[in-house]
Formats: sequence, C-alpha cells, structure tokens
Amino acid sequence: MRIPVSLVPALAAAALAGVLAAGAPVPASAQEVDARALLREAGVVRPGAGYREYYFTRAIYSDYRGGFGWGRRPRWATDYPKADHQFLVVLARLIGIDAHQGENAVRLDDPGLRRFPFLYALEVAAMDLTEAEVQGLRGYLEVGGFLVVDDFWGERAMQNLAYQLSRVLPGRPIREIPLDHPVFNAVYDIEEIRQVPNVGVGRRGGPTAECWGCDPRVFGIFDDHDRLMVVINWNTDLGDAWEWAEDPWYPLPYSTFAYEMGVNMVVYGMSH
Amino acid sequence: MERIFEFLFKFRPVLFREGEVVLATPWPLALLLGGVALLGVAAVVSYGTASGRAKPWERTLLATLRVAALGVLAFALMQPTLVLSSVVPQRNFVAVLLDDSRSMELPGEDGRPRRAWLQETFGPEGSELVEALGERFALRFYRFSAAAGRVEHAGSLTFQGTRTDLGSALDQARGELSSVPLSGVVVVSDGADNGAEPLARALVPLQAAGVPVYTVGVGAEHLSPDVQVTRVELPRSVLRGTGAMADVVLDQRGLGGRRVTLVVEDGPRRIAEEEVVLGGDGEPTLVRVPLTLEEAGARTLRFRIPALPGEAVQENNARTRLVQVADDREKILYFEGEPRWELKFLRRAVADDPNLQVVTLQRTAPGKFYRLDLDEPEELAGGFPRTREELFRYRALVLGSVEASFFTRDQLQMISDFVGERGGGLLVLGGRAAFAEGGYAGTALEDLLPVYLEEPAPNGGHAFQEVKVQPTPAGRNHPVGRLDGGSWDDLPPLTTLNRVTRTKPGAVTLLEGDAAGEARVVLAHHRFGGGKVLALPVQDTWTWQMHADVPVEDLRHETLWRQLLRWLVDGVPEPVAVALAAERVEPGAGVVVTATVTDSAYIGLNNARVTLTVTHPSGAVVEEALAWSVDADGEYRGTVTPPEAGRYRIAVEAATEAGVLGRAETMLEVGPSPEEYFDAGRRTPLLQRLAEETGGRFYTPRTVGTLPEDLRFTGAGVTLTEERELWDMPVILLLLVGLLGAEWGVRRTRGMV
Repeated sequence: MRIPVSLVPALAAAALAGVLAAGAPVPASAQEVDARALLREAGVVRPGAGYREYYFTRAIYSDYRGGFGWGRRPRWATDYPKADHQFLVVLARLIGIDAHQGENAVRLDDPGLRRFPFLYALEVAAMDLTEAEVQGLRGYLEVGGFLVVDDFWGERAMQNLAYQLSRVLPGRPIREIPLDHPVFNAVYDIEEIRQVPNVGVGRRGGPTAECWGCDPRVFGIFDDHDRLMVVINWNTDLGDAWEWAEDPWYPLPYSTFAYEMGVNMVVYGMSH
Repeated sequence: MERIFEFLFKFRPVLFREGEVVLATPWPLALLLGGVALLGVAAVVSYGTASGRAKPWERTLLATLRVAALGVLAFALMQPTLVLSSVVPQRNFVAVLLDDSRSMELPGEDGRPRRAWLQETFGPEGSELVEALGERFALRFYRFSAAAGRVEHAGSLTFQGTRTDLGSALDQARGELSSVPLSGVVVVSDGADNGAEPLARALVPLQAAGVPVYTVGVGAEHLSPDVQVTRVELPRSVLRGTGAMADVVLDQRGLGGRRVTLVVEDGPRRIAEEEVVLGGDGEPTLVRVPLTLEEAGARTLRFRIPALPGEAVQENNARTRLVQVADDREKILYFEGEPRWELKFLRRAVADDPNLQVVTLQRTAPGKFYRLDLDEPEELAGGFPRTREELFRYRALVLGSVEASFFTRDQLQMISDFVGERGGGLLVLGGRAAFAEGGYAGTALEDLLPVYLEEPAPNGGHAFQEVKVQPTPAGRNHPVGRLDGGSWDDLPPLTTLNRVTRTKPGAVTLLEGDAAGEARVVLAHHRFGGGKVLALPVQDTWTWQMHADVPVEDLRHETLWRQLLRWLVDGVPEPVAVALAAERVEPGAGVVVTATVTDSAYIGLNNARVTLTVTHPSGAVVEEALAWSVDADGEYRGTVTPPEAGRYRIAVEAATEAGVLGRAETMLEVGPSPEEYFDAGRRTPLLQRLAEETGGRFYTPRTVGTLPEDLRFTGAGVTLTEERELWDMPVILLLLVGLLGAEWGVRRTRGMV
C-alpha cells in the first residue's frame, strides 16, 4: 500500500496548522535570527531521557566569506530552522519515525557529529572546509554517515562542491544517480527529477531556474558496496519547499516533490 | 584377612558364601539344649552361693562365662557342617576369555606388557593355574577384542584388536556353550571396554542362567605420567568462517600443574593453539578453544598435545573430529517496525559476509513496508509472513522495535513454532516498542524469551538508560563474546529503553550492563524446543560503529554482528537432514544412518522416496532406498557397512511426486580406532562389578591362585553335594579355651579356686 501523493501537502498543511495553532515555537522567519547567535547557540543534542531515534542534523561548515553571507547570515543556516522544523513535522506524519522535533545543527569538526548519521548541507557554493572539517566529515562518511546536499546552483557551485568533496573522499567520483536507484523509490516512486524553485520564484510562477540553463540533477558518491554516501541535489531548492509548504502561494507540486524526496532520502539513509 | 578367616574357620569365606551351614546333630536337639540349660542353671546357682570375696557383678560375670563356654560346647556337639555343591570333575565347562586388544601391549604393574602374564599363564606351555582348572573342568578358550573367537591357547593371540567389546564376547561364549553345563566364565582383561552396547545388557542372560563371571584384572590401575585428550565437543557442522568453540577435556596422571600446549590441526595446517595449565594430579581440565574454519567441505580436525618426555602412553594424546563446513548463504528475516539506525548498521555490518543474507522488512508507515535483499519481487509483498511456509523458509528471525499488537495471535504462535518446531533462531532487539514496552507480556513471544519482562515504564514512557556493556565469564568464552580478541573495555556505553534485569532458569547471559549501578541483561540466550532465542534489549549497538571514540578502522561492531547472526543460524535444521550413529567406525562395522524428512512447513513426511547414496573412498557409488522407521514422523533409517578404510560420503535425497524436497550429506570416517589407548588404566571397578553382579569374583594375577577352588563350588553346571565338618574349626577350640581361661582367672583373683 502506498500513501497517495495528493495527501502529502494536505498532511503537511494539517500538521503545520496544528503546530502553529498549538503555539509551538517555530520562528516566523529564520531571517530575523542573528547569524552569530545562531553559531553560538547551535549545540549538539546529546542522548538523554528525551532520546529520539532520528535528528534532522544540519551541517555547520566554513565558507570563503568567513561563514557569513548576505545579511550576515551564514550560508549553512539558510532556511534555518523553519525548514528543519517543517520537514520534521511532516516526516513524523508520513512515516512512523521517532524523530526529534527540533533543529540540530552540528559543526563538521565536532566529534559528536557521529551520533547523528543523517546530515543536511545546503548553499555549498562557497563551502571552504578547514582541514579539521575535512577530517571530521571523512570519518563520518566512512563509518556510515549519510550526507544530503541541497540548494546550490550552476557550474561554478558544482565545481566548488566537487573540489571540497574530493578533499573529503579522495578517489570517489561524483556520479549521477539513475532514476531506478532505490533512493528514488524507498517510500515514494520518483518518476522525474523536478526543479524546486525558491519561495520567490515559486510564488511568481514561470521559469524555476535560478541560473541560465540550470537543469535539476541528482548526483551521488558511492561506497565500495555501491551504497550512497552522499546525495547531491543540484539546481534545485528542496529546503525552500519544506520551509514554505504552508504558503498558499507556493505551488503544491514543488513542495510535494520536495517532501517525497526528503522522506526517500531519510529512509534510504537509515537503511543502507 | 582372608587367610586369618581360613585359619579360624577351616575354609575360605567364598566357600561359606557358596555353601550352607547346617547342624548335623545325632542327638535330639531338645535333649541337647535341655542338658546345656541344666548345666547352665547349675553354674548360675553354684556361683551365686559359692564362698569367696567376689562381688555380685563378678559372680554374674563368672556365670555368664561358664554359660557361654557351655553354649560353644553345645554348638560343637551339634556337629555343624558346611554343605557345598561341588562340580563333578570333567563334567563341566569353563570358558576362558582372553583380551586380544592393543591395550594389552601397554605396561603392566611390573613394567612388562600386560599381555606377558596372560601369555605365560594361558600359553601353549600351560601353567599351574590352567592345570588346576583343567583337572576339574573342560576348558574352552576364546580371544576377544571387537569380536570373539575360539582359540586353543593364548599363543595365537596377536594383541592387535582396536576395540574391546566385553559384552559381545560374553554373549558369544555363553551362546556357544549354552548346550553344555557351564560352571563359569573367566575373563582375563584390563577391563578397557569400549563396546557399542552397554555391558549390563550382556549380563542379564548370564544372571538368568546362573553362570558366574570370574574376572582377572591385568595391568596397573593408573598410567603415570600421562596426559590424554579425553573428549572433544564440537558442532558437527558449521558455517564457513563462523567462530566455533571446541570444548576439550584433558585428563592426566602425574602431571598436575604442568603447562602443556593444545594444538588444533586441519590436515597439515595448524589452525589454533592454546596454552593450558593442567589441574591437580588426576583432575580433569576443560579447555575452550575458539576456532574459525575458513575452508568449506568435510574437515578432519585433530586436537593434539605434543608428547611429553617419559609419557606412559602417547597414543592417547590426540583425538580427531569430523566437521562439515558449509558454504551456504543463510537467509535471515529482519523485521523492523520503524525506521531505525540499528537496521542500517546491522545490514552494513554483515554486508561483506557471503554466508549471510539479511532480508529486511521495515514498516515505514502503517501497512507500508520497505523490503530489501529479496530473492524474488513477490517475497514478503504482503508484509510479515502469514503462513508457516512463508516464515519457515528463513533460518532465523530478528525482531526489532515492533509492538505486539501488530501481529495476529496466529502470527505470534507461528513465531513460537518457528523456534520450537522448525528449530529456527530468534533474536529480539530492544526498542521503544519491544519487550514489555511493546506490550509482549502475556503473549506467545513472552514465553519464548530467555528473560523476564518487567513492568513497562509508566504512562507509555521508556526507561531510558545508558548501559556500560561487559561480557560475562560465559560470554568471554562464547563465539559471540570474543570480538576476535578485541577489547570490550573501551567501547562506549549503549542506551536502552527496556529494563531487563532477570533471565529465566536455564538461560545464559553473555553480555551484561551497568545502568547507573543496576545490573542489566544485555545479551542472553536459551534453547526453546528445537531452536534458540536471544534477547538483546539495547537499541543502538550502532554506537560502536559511529561513536567518535571508536576509530574508523575498528571492526568490533562488524565482528559482533557477524558472529551473533552466524551463531543464530548455527545448527538450524534443513527440511532434509542426515545423521550417523557414529562418525568413525572400523571397516566391516555397521553404522545406522537416520534421515529426517519434512515438508516446507517442517511437518514430518512418511511417504517420501528417500535415497541413500554412499560414495566409497575408491569412488564406487552405492545407492539404496531408506525406509520409514515407523518410530517417528519423517524419520527414515538404514545401515551402512563400510568394507574398507577411508572417508565415505553419505548423501540422502528425499523426493515426493511433486519433486525433490531436499538433499543432505555427511561424512563417515572408517579406520582403526585408537580408543584402546584412552582411559587405558586397568578398570578394576568395571571388572569387580561384572563379577559381583553374576556371583563371581575379581582377581589379580597375584590372587588368582584360588580360582580353581572357587570355581568348584559355584553351584553351576553338574554338581554333587559335599559335606565338610565344622566342629573342629579352630575358632571353637579358641573360644572354649578363652572363655574357660577367663573364668578360671577371675576365680583365682577372687579366691574362689
């Protein structure tokens, strides 16, 4: 039995409405949060009495501009933490997962990173990993950690990511993931790779690409057993679709696709 | 002692035991007793009234002594007589069974081979003993080892027998002499019986016929110094690459506290070595040797202790065991009730193992399942199996965090049958919907578990706790707990949501944990019916893979899961199985082959066509059909009698009209047995029991001189009654002199003389 695709946004909207109605502490906009405060406050969730099986963990990484981009907001914190919260709410409704309902941003050189085998990184166009971060991410991926990269556009961004990942996993090429790969049908059958626009483009309608000739593609880095270690969502912005899924002006098909891809990547990452 | 008895009572005790003491008085008994009573009364009266300074108790003593002396005299006058049944000379037969086995070559008490005394006494030149026996009996000599046969004398014995089967030798002698009067059987042996049948079975007909067995034990009771590999316990079949434990029992004399090396060899290759400090003198020592067999097929493992200087017997320093190393891909079903990291890292841990296939069924949402590592697209398409056939195709089942209410009552019972009847392995993992927190109290699964379920955490919560894990002593010696030599000490703590503190009787705890001062069960197992059940009530063994303190190249997590799952499927039966009554026999000896045949639901089939194929060492192939044994459903039996030494392949194939059900094979090793050299000391208790239970006697070469006389009065065979007077026994005279002398002494000291 499969969950009808049409129910996904409905579930998402219902879940979000419930959360908002209950006054859950979901920030109205991550843009209001001071970026340096984010860095200071981003802490590692340790196992304890409130232990959960799954933590949506966001990678804190260094970039060329000292970690801060437009509006003094670090690039790693794009859509943070609203996208994380909204994704987790829907994730818990769609699959029976014991997920921590809150953000969890962890530095790549933090030894505690390994406690969270699912990692999400975005806006990696300016990613410039320190040696400690390279070592940390390499160890993490080699023992079984799973990295999802999202929301970066254009050739130059891809070249930078490829260079950074070649430092982390030397000798492991980036390959395009075929549509018949299990990551595209772990829970939902993905029949085509859709380009998910950011909220502004999505609301406006029309072309979804943020750069000329940017087609969405999904790449991966595989281990010796042909299991995915890294999933790279290029020329697409799944995070914005999660963040703005409740926005009536944001087109439903994009958020539906983004949630389906997100659920598939979580289930694949927790089983392979 | 026997000599003193004979001096006092004229005859040896054995004659009193065989005969009967009667009073052959020529006078009427009443008259005699009356006379003695009168004399007694007179003695009492006269001592009561006689003058003298004796006190009253002294007078009583004097009267008692006098009455006792009169009593002894009266007994002598009543003419006590020993009545014996004595054999009629040359009318009776005696079978003499001579041990012709190899153990008779071992040193005796005097340092010479045990056979030396036997050859001298029963050889062609004859001896006093044989002469004395021959005067009264017709002697029939038999040699015996694995089988018995008539011989003229000990001169034709070769002492090359590889087995001593006392029971069948006794049976054969009794059978051959059943038509003649048989006075007794004499067995000359070291008692190193290693026959297939219990000795007691052969004694019953002898006891019924009243034929006594006289045993002559040769050789020293203990050979020293000597160490022997007494027993090796090892599974008959293992999965290639699986860690297995061999339990080896060593016995020794004169080598207490000595350090020796136990070597395990697979053909020419040395696969394990263990330093052993032997226990106290005469005490057995148990050694557990971890083994990993990497080559598939039938392997002959040799457990050996290199010969020590001056050792009395070196042939008992080694034992061999046949092990079938399978190279199958064992199919395990892992059912997980929710997305969990444990599933991912368990799969990764055994991904490199070519002998394990973990088919994964993960519930991602109600009614929705994610299936991995399937053989066919339809496998588990409907979720968790609903029929026995569907579930029983797996050899083990791993249950993750899935609540009891997910299963129907029939499915829970089917899981119970999977373990109890099919003989599968079950591993239950901890989690938020496992054990008590999963609502398993009162279900069929609770009965299966090796641990008790505690009260679940209140309000549907979880008893979250960190647990520092350590192996128990049993765990350290278990394939699962050894981590290929890796340490447990620096592994980070795990966490659990299920409070499990107690194991059921008979369960074994392999891993235990310290949860804030409370002892927790981390891994326990027990047998349930034909299978085994393991409980692992922690939720994140993957921590041992992912924790920052665990180096990237560390393989302890992989090792643990590989060994755990391999052990889980170890020994799980196939629908068609074959077993032999013995894994090693001598050429010409029959061995029973038993095949067990079941259908896909593991229900015994009695109408299958079962073909036994025996491949000889020469390559010759012999086929025969096995017949249903009638004793049990699905059991088929036959006998294989290998004519030559070597290794035989025994294969069984079962089929019905619908097709072939399955095949199974094993190996049979055929050759001379070294059993004669094990426990090679003279087994006096066995020889004594043999004699006592049949009314005979046990002798050594030093005491055997009385055997001809003892045989005369067994009562067996053609006998005549013989009376022997006892009135003149020295004990009577000594008693009379003693009693009267004591009386006279008392009288003299009291002035009554």
